[in-house]
Order: sequence, then C-alpha cells, then structure tokens
Amino acid sequence: MASEVNTDFLNNKKLDSIAADILKPVGISQGFIIWMGFLGISLMGCIYAYYIQWDKGLIVTGLRDYISWGMYIANFVFFVATSLVGMLISSVLGLIGFKWVKPIARIAEIIAVAFAAIAGLVIVSDMGRPERLPYVFLHGRIQSPIIWDVTVVTTYLAISTLLYFLPLIPDLAIAKGRIGHTPKWLQKTYEILSVNWKHTPEQYAILLKAMRILLILIIPTAFAIHTVTSWLFAVTLRPGWDSSIFGPYFLVGAFVAGSAAVVIMMYFVRTNYKLDKYLTTHHFDMMGKLLVLVSIVYLYFNINEYLVPAFKMKTADAVHLTDLFVGEYAWMFWSVQLLGLIIPIILLLFRFFRKPFAMFVISTVVLIASWFKRFLIVVPTQDHPFLPIQHVPKAWMVYQPTIVETAITFGTILLAVIIITILVKFFPVIPIWEMAEEHHESDHTTQE
Amino acid sequence: MIKKYFTILLILLISLHVSAQVWVVPAENEGKKSPFAFSDSTRKAGADIYVSNCKSCHGDPGKNNVIQLVPIPPDPASAKMQANSDGALQYKLIQGRGTMPSFKNTLAPTDLWRVISYIRGFNEKYVQEIAKNTTGNVGSLQNSQIVLTWISESHQIQATVSGLKDKTIQPVSGAEVKLFAQRYFGNLLIDEARNTDAHGAAAFNFPIDLPGDSAGFVKLIARLSNEEAFGEVKTESNMSIGVPTYRAPLNEQRAMWNVLEKTPIWLMLAYILTVLGAWAFIVYVILQIRAISKAGSKT
Ligand code: HEC
Repeated sequence: MASEVNTDFLNNKKLDSIAADILKPVGISQGFIIWMGFLGISLMGCIYAYYIQWDKGLIVTGLRDYISWGMYIANFVFFVATSLVGMLISSVLGLIGFKWVKPIARIAEIIAVAFAAIAGLVIVSDMGRPERLPYVFLHGRIQSPIIWDVTVVTTYLAISTLLYFLPLIPDLAIAKGRIGHTPKWLQKTYEILSVNWKHTPEQYAILLKAMRILLILIIPTAFAIHTVTSWLFAVTLRPGWDSSIFGPYFLVGAFVAGSAAVVIMMYFVRTNYKLDKYLTTHHFDMMGKLLVLVSIVYLYFNINEYLVPAFKMKTADAVHLTDLFVGEYAWMFWSVQLLGLIIPIILLLFRFFRKPFAMFVISTVVLIASWFKRFLIVVPTQDHPFLPIQHVPKAWMVYQPTIVETAITFGTILLAVIIITILVKFFPVIPIWEMAEEHHESDHTTQE
Repeated sequence: MIKKYFTILLILLISLHVSAQVWVVPAENEGKKSPFAFSDSTRKAGADIYVSNCKSCHGDPGKNNVIQLVPIPPDPASAKMQANSDGALQYKLIQGRGTMPSFKNTLAPTDLWRVISYIRGFNEKYVQEIAKNTTGNVGSLQNSQIVLTWISESHQIQATVSGLKDKTIQPVSGAEVKLFAQRYFGNLLIDEARNTDAHGAAAFNFPIDLPGDSAGFVKLIARLSNEEAFGEVKTESNMSIGVPTYRAPLNEQRAMWNVLEKTPIWLMLAYILTVLGAWAFIVYVILQIRAISKAGSKT
C-alpha cells in the first residue's frame, strides 16, 4: 500500500464509472429477498434444533464419554481456519506489494469477519450448559489454552472488523451521493459510518497509518489464533494430536481452506454482480497459483504429520494410523487427501483449470474436504483412549452425529453466509477508491 | 480396535498365569464359612467396600456393566458368581488371578466376609451357614484384645494379646498376629505373621526407613489371624515411629495445573503483556477513527 495517496483521482471521470459499476448491485433486490428468505427459513429449522439441544442438553447429540469433541469442535476449527485468509491476502500479500490483491482484499476481510464472528458461537454450540458461558471469564484460568483461544479469537475478530471497516470509510463517502436507488436507512447508515470523511490528505494520512498498524498487528494475531487452536489438541499426549508441527500444520491448512473460500466468493460476486471488469480471469489465475502454492506446502506438512509416525508405528499411534489408513476412517481420509489436496494440486498446475468456473468447482471441493479434514483431526483420536473408560455402554464408544447436531452445525454455516450476504449486498464489495486510484496511476504512466 | 489390542494383550498376560479356565478351590477352603451371621449391617458395610474396591471392574451388581476384561469379571449377581460357596469366594478374593487382584493384605478378613455378605444379598435363594465356634470369642477367653507398644532400643513393636477368663485378664498364647502399616493404597505387612509367646507377646521388627506423615506418625493395625476362633480382634494405633516426610501438595506452588491465583508468573506476564500490547494498538486505531472525523470537520 502506498504511503501517500494522491487525491487527484477524485476528479477523474474514471471514478464515476467505477463507483457506478460497484454500487449498482448495492441495496435490496428481489434476488436478495428470495435468497435471504431461503437462508432465513433454513435457519429457523436449525434454531429449532438448537432449541432441542438447549432444552435437553448434549444428550441429543452423538457426543458421549469417548468422543466428547465431535462435529462442533471440528466445525470450530474449520471456522477459525477459514477466517485466517483475511490476514494472508490483505496483509501478507498486500504488504509485499502485490497489486492484484486490491480488489480481493475486501472479500477476504468479509470472510475473516464472518467466520471469526461465528467461530465463537460454534464453541457455544458445544456447551451443554451455555448459560454458564460467563463462568469462562469469571473463573477461567489463564493456564488453559482454551482461555488463550477465547482471547485470541476475540482479538482477531476486532482487528479483522477494523481492517474491513477502515478502507470502507472513503468508499462510503464516495457512495453517499450515489446510492439514491437504495432505502433511506441505508443512506443514513452510510452517512454515519463514513465518519465525516472529506477525502482530505490529512484524513488519508491517518487512515493509511492506522491501516498499516493493523496490517502488521494482524500477522502475529492470526498466527496466534490458529496456533493456539492447534494447541488445544497438541498439548495433550494423545496419538494423532501429540505433534510438534501442529501449529504450522494448522496454519497452512487454514490458508488452503481460506483461499478456497475466497475463490468461491469471488465467483459469486463476479457472476451475480457483473463485476468481471474488476475480478478478472487474471485474478482467478493468481488465486489459483496461490491455492496451489499453499496446497503444496500443506501436502508437505501432511506427509510429515502422517509419514513420520507411520514409519515408527509406536503402539498407540499405530492403532490410530491404521484406523485412518485402512480402517474405519479410511474412506474419509483418502477422499480428503485426494479430493482436497492431491487432485486440486495437479489440476491447478495447468492454466486451463485456473479459469473462473473451474476454479470455483475445485475450490468448492477443497472447502468441503477441508471441513472433513478437521473432522479427521478431531474425532478419530478420541476413539482410542490410553485406558478404556469404565462402565460405558458399547454405544457410547462410537460417535454417530445426530440430526440435531448436524442441523446446528449447518446453522452456523448459514449464519456465516448470512453475514457475508449482508455485507456484500449493503456495502461495496470492491474498494472503489483504491480501484480509482490505481486506474489513475496507470493512466498517468501510460500518458507519460 | 483398541479393545482388540487390549484383548490380545490381556490374553497373553493371563495365559501366563492361568493355565486352566476353571478356578480350582482347594477342598479345605471350599468349606470355610463366615464367623458371623450376614445381616443388613454387614451388607451395608460390604457395599461400601465393594464400591471402593470392586465396582471399577465388576460394575453394579445385576446391571451387567462389568468392564470388558478377559476373562470377563462376572457380575456379582450372576449365577456364575453365586455358584461359589462362601469359602470359594473368600479363597478367590484372597488369591486373585490374572487381572483379578489379590485382596489378601488390602482387606481385613472380616471385610472380606462383609463384601461376601453384600454379594450374597443379590441371591434370594441363598441360605447362610455360619462357622461353628463363632460366638466371636472362643472357649473360656472372652473379649480378646491387642495392645501395641513401641520398644525403641530394638526398634520393635510389641503386640500383647490378652483375654478375659473367669473375670481376670489373662495372656493369650499361641495366637497368630499380623501387623500392618496403613499406606495410601492398602496396608503394608510389617515383618511377618508372629505367634504370641506364653506372656501373650509377639515382637515385630519395624523398618527404620518407613515414611510417616509430616510428624513421623504411622498408623499401625494389628490383627489376630484366626478369626474363626477369636472373632474379629484388631487394634489400631498411631505412633510417631516413621521417618517424617513432608510432601508438598501438588497445588501448593504456582503451577500450570493450579488455580488462577497460582498461575506461574512468567505465564501471567506473557499473557497480560501480549493482550495489553495487542489491544493498545486496537484502541489506538479506534481513536484514529475519531481523529478522521475531527479532521473532516476542519474543512
Ligand atoms: C482389576 C479388576 C478387578 C477388581 C478390582 C476386582 N475383580 Fe474380581 N475379578 C476380576 C476378573 C478379571 C475376574 C475373572 C478372573 C478369572 O476368572 O481368571 C474376577 C473374578 C472374581 C471372582 C471369581 C468369580 C468366579 O469366576 O467364580 C470373584 C468372587 C471376584 N472377582 C470378586 C471380587 C471382589 C469381591 C472384588 C472387590 C473386593 C473384586 N473382585 C475386585 C477383576 C477384578
């Protein structure tokens, strides 16, 4: 990001056309109402499922003495993982100076905000007595990784929200006079949220400084959020979790899931909002390269994570690994490795598959696989306690997620989609001022 | 899967110890009987013993929720368990086999009978036969008792056994006495079983390195072996004859596993500084939003 903004772009004709393109889909449309209606009605079903759980407790789930961390915790890890992409794209790539991330950065930030916000809720879904949530803060011990996790998720959410909001301010000011077609309350919201923005050089200077602080601060925070999540597992002695590479392994895995999520969202925005001028095939091509890069690194971590213990086959590890490789979980394990990692890597090496639609399909498969990958990390380990738990009925030793549990999990995903939809529909998805500024610069360079 | 593993492991282990599946009880043990009648109070006492010593493997009687070991520990209410004679039950409890522990030193003879009385409570058809000579006191000797004294010169415990005869106190000779020191898990036999001499006395060599509590106190338990003849005769005594041992409780110092107030300092500092550091920047940025708004009013 440039350290100084040349506000000349404001007088450029280009700004008008860019703003018109990007602001056109903003507001309430029929499609939006249908889509939100669909999401809302589905969510009602999930809320009913949660009501059942609230009423009866976790007994309505498949969680028992052996497997007490099931779908919910896998889902939590998935949410945290996906939200991490905000840091990768806007911060790491942005600070390095990659220009192509500019139109994508806000999309990545929306994903970060939505997924980090819901991650907290997902944890609550795993609580049998959610009304005791305040006890976590009243009686929590800072020796416990769970408290570190709560802290760092909150911090990450705060930074991500600011990172979404700050660059939005100039856009809101630009948009103010240009969204006559939208409801009054939305215009009022723009008025308030644009915090008196007048495009003065001083304001830009303050904005850029604040952004720079956040972009740097988010890097350690994002590392912390997912490393700590991995520690929830890695600080135990259990086979499959007792691993010293769990931190980086989770982190890279998160980039894979997050990049896939960004591609999916890019595709929706591009096709529904007709923004192919801004989200070009070039952007998809670059995201494809990014996805293949992080996937290869993730593959490398996977090889380490499974091959090294498999070479030694220590007694307890052997039980766990056999279960994954050829046992009960083999079908899931190999599907995830093949569909979520190896095949995408091979395909994405070819330019042909880095086209928007192909990328969309591949990313969808990768994202679904990464959900199941989290399931494979969380659940099978608990099948094999070092000592058998006493007096448990046989049925309590196997984990069979129930419909209620599945519906609640599905509901959290719906919630994230709802947040994303609202942000995407009511606010510009692509940074107008940054686009205009860039065009302005490139115009200059071509003229000179 | 893990169960398969355990199974194989246990089969291996147990096949080393047990050649035949049938558990043969010697004829003389087969016929042993309890010295006292089973009653609600013995069953109640037995229930407590059962919960703390047996339930973890044998489950709740009648509920068939035993732990899946090989061989399977039978449910106390099962026909298999009840097919044993009282003497056979006592023998199996004393001996143990494979994963079934021996309770020889852990449970006092009377406690063994108590837990057996509890087990019998799940058998409606059971009719108890009581051992002969079990009024609790034998022959002319009544109210036998043991007195423990410390002989520091020889580092010995002397047990003196006496009883009432014709209303006078007389020594009990030739009675087998066992001395135990109470430990965390069960009782430790001190020296070996000794018979009382003509003065009713038996001396036990006491180890010089036995840990006691922080003041050196050791809880001693002395017991007459032949309960059928004497009834339950035992005495307990706390003596400061062990090596004073102070083990700081695990929750005394600052530690990862302790309560919040006893967090290790380094962790507390690391946590607080990191959180404050991050949030200081966040608050600063939020203030910048105000600064932006102010800068806008200037123009
Ligand atoms: C560590 C587990 C364990 C504990 C604790 C345990 N048992 Fe057992 N018990 C077993 C097993 C295993 C067997 C089967 C042994 C065999 O057949 O080789 C068994 C067998 C027995 C039997 C013999 C049943 C028969 O086959 O006739 C009796 C009686 C018995 N237990 C009573 C008790 C009592 C009373 C206690 C508590 C004071 C107790 N057990 C504590 C594991 C245990």
